[in-house]
Amino acid sequence: MVIEQYTIATPPKYNFPQPTIDEALPQRLLEQSMGSLRYPQPQHFQLNQQSFQQSAKIDLHAETLQLGMQPIPLKPIHEETQIAACDTSTIKIGETSTGILIAVRGANVWKKHRSYKYNRFGPFIFHITEENKKEVYDAIERAYFVSGRVQGHPGIVNLMQNPTRIASLLERWLQATLSRVLNNGIVLFDGSLTAGTVDTPIERLRGILVKARECKNVVLAFSKITNLRAKGRLITDLALERGTPYLLETTGLKPKPPIVLLGDVYVARLSHRSFAFRLDIDKEDPYEQRIEALGKLIGNDVLSQGYPETLRLAHILCTFTANEVIAMQHFVARRCGLIIINRPDMHRLLFGPFGRGESYS
Amino acid sequence: MKLYRKEGNILQILSFPNETVEKGDYLLVEDMEARKALIAQVIDVQFASVPGVLEELLRSLPDGGELVLGEDFDPLEIASHINYIQDASLLVCKIRATVENENLSPSSSWLPSRSQSTIKRLPVPTLLKLARIEGKLPIILGGTKDSSLLTIDASHLDGRLNIITGKKETGKSHLSKLLMINLVGYKATVVVFDLNGEYISLGMTGDGKRNAHYDKIHVLTPGQNFKTALKHVNLHVLLGILIHALHLPGTSAREFRRIWQSLREKDMLTLHELGEAIRNWNCNQLVRDALSSRYHALINSGFFTDSVCEATLLEDSLFKAEEHGGAIVINLRNTSAIDRQVVVEYVLGRLVEQLTSWKLKATFLFAEEAHLYLRETYWDDIVTRMRHFGIFTTFITNQPDTVKENIYRQADNIFLFNFTNEHDLEVVSRAARVDAETVKSIARDLPPHHCLVLGKVVKDFPMVVKVKAMDVKTMGETRLFFKDMN
Repeated sequence: MVIEQYTIATPPKYNFPQPTIDEALPQRLLEQSMGSLRYPQPQHFQLNQQSFQQSAKIDLHAETLQLGMQPIPLKPIHEETQIAACDTSTIKIGETSTGILIAVRGANVWKKHRSYKYNRFGPFIFHITEENKKEVYDAIERAYFVSGRVQGHPGIVNLMQNPTRIASLLERWLQATLSRVLNNGIVLFDGSLTAGTVDTPIERLRGILVKARECKNVVLAFSKITNLRAKGRLITDLALERGTPYLLETTGLKPKPPIVLLGDVYVARLSHRSFAFRLDIDKEDPYEQRIEALGKLIGNDVLSQGYPETLRLAHILCTFTANEVIAMQHFVARRCGLIIINRPDMHRLLFGPFGRGESYS
Repeated sequence: MKLYRKEGNILQILSFPNETVEKGDYLLVEDMEARKALIAQVIDVQFASVPGVLEELLRSLPDGGELVLGEDFDPLEIASHINYIQDASLLVCKIRATVENENLSPSSSWLPSRSQSTIKRLPVPTLLKLARIEGKLPIILGGTKDSSLLTIDASHLDGRLNIITGKKETGKSHLSKLLMINLVGYKATVVVFDLNGEYISLGMTGDGKRNAHYDKIHVLTPGQNFKTALKHVNLHVLLGILIHALHLPGTSAREFRRIWQSLREKDMLTLHELGEAIRNWNCNQLVRDALSSRYHALINSGFFTDSVCEATLLEDSLFKAEEHGGAIVINLRNTSAIDRQVVVEYVLGRLVEQLTSWKLKATFLFAEEAHLYLRETYWDDIVTRMRHFGIFTTFITNQPDTVKENIYRQADNIFLFNFTNEHDLEVVSRAARVDAETVKSIARDLPPHHCLVLGKVVKDFPMVVKVKAMDVKTMGETRLFFKDMN
């Protein structure tokens, strides 16, 4: 199949202090997007919006988890340090008779000289069907992560899991890019440093962390939500209010194979009267470097509610707003010849006011 | 454009950035299946309430309100679609009529199909044709936004009460001159109370030459070429002047009536004899003093004379005007407030006399800032009694609250120029022939010389028109101190 080629150029003002950015993944995303949206005859599509949560439930042996009750105090270090973060978002924008229409977008944000800059990639819109789900995913994965591919993709059996997998690929690419282009900086990830899952093979995440260490960057991975409990209570609920900012160490967390933790897990409360978050820091980073990196984060970034502003912006910039969803639905209807239909919501139809379906109004 | 909502006679229509629709425009909402269409007028243009717009705007602002700068790699060019959605507008429209089999009815009781209806702009010429606004006596008011002419029928001013209002320097007097000249052109008799001497040069072109209307414009300046002899005045007209303009008490008025009858019997109705009679009349001193002071007011007005050749017969001008069409301009420019009332009282009294005796068929009366010379009771007379006599008034004012509310309620046509003041708009919006939302929304944004025409002349389809220019000498300009310096 001949695929329409789009000329991909690096955004002209991508002013990271590195000369080259790998363009293969966005190029392949675009190719797959355009390929999946090409139809031999007009299809109907049902408007239906649904956000996908990327954090899959990971089986960890947390019974032995213990939270160190001795806080490690953190001091702000105001030495200018570049802070960068990335995040991705995916959303289902509609359904066709053969599959789903999804959109994926990612953003890199960095802070330098007291101002924030970003690069945003997407939205890439895909029509995922049972027929093409493997082909689309494989093509995108091949474009960048040749070494760390999971053979056979045993996990890609469910159509609904595919969007988060594609978003995860984009996120890993963004993380790898940041880890490589930044020097002596802090790279903030959304989520944990857990590997060995279907969409995060160990080698893939390990490769990213190696690149980061080579460029003297420290990776800090913040999880907004955690299920880890110590003595039956969420670890983030056990954190003390006094003495902020501080870290609490955890011990005894043993993941069930093939899951591995490439980072040490902490509870971080980075500002006064703020929330505590699970924080994963690369296991290979020396202890002093970890504490110094957190000091630099506190000294250089805004920490509203204890969450780094750079990471917050990355999340905000890639999240789809309602009007963007409408615009994308408009795009697929206009450019791809899809015909919008309004199929009745069975929940509403059967249960009236008691039916809360997934309908989007 | 897409039909979004209908509430009462308000339609909400979703419009996209490539569809340029403005306030005042007419739209045709056509339901092919129902074989009917709604004619709706846009009275407001708002941003469509698109979900997520606030988030979109907010996310570009981090702490401190500084913009987050960045680059978007958007190969599918979704951004243009986002802008398209974000810039969608909501047109708030008033339903003006329903078209069915090319006939118009004011009904808005049916609901066109939201999914199947087509919405398009209705050009003014098409609307004029549908509404059959043009008649046998056309008056071109000016141009509409889509470069067509708005023509009204002079017969829709006949027997009607009209108001021309708007703030200063928006073109009210210009429009009243246009209407007047056109009425005169159709051989109508027009009387103008010209407060600022703006109409006295209507017979001249801009460069001071005589124009086609020269012979039809009769300017009467009280005290100069407009005087009256007592013997030409009827007692009730003079009593009207004494009671209403000069506030003569009832008892004194009764004595005056006796004096007047006595002098008339002796055929001695002159100013001199009247003065003598008041001085020598056997009556209460207070009554004498009251009569004497009013007598001197009449003398000082310079409007009354004993010389018959000096006196102008208003009737002569009126008859001349009725024969060929003409305007009698009562120039009140340099007339004091009391004298102004005396003259107006006289003119109206004589007009009613002529009309009740059917010596005159009907008269169009143009009154500028009427609150400055029209007595209280005349307002009610104008909307009730005078209409039956054949006096069809057009009020021209920049202070809409000086015109009584019942005048607005009874007004058949309103020519509304720009107002920005809420209070002024509130007053005008009490007019029965239009809804308050239309007045408030459209009049606020009218540029100078643009007028919102409401009422019977436009068959209740409010229309915005740029009043056409006329080649007449303008006299209504504001005198400026710094004019020569600029």
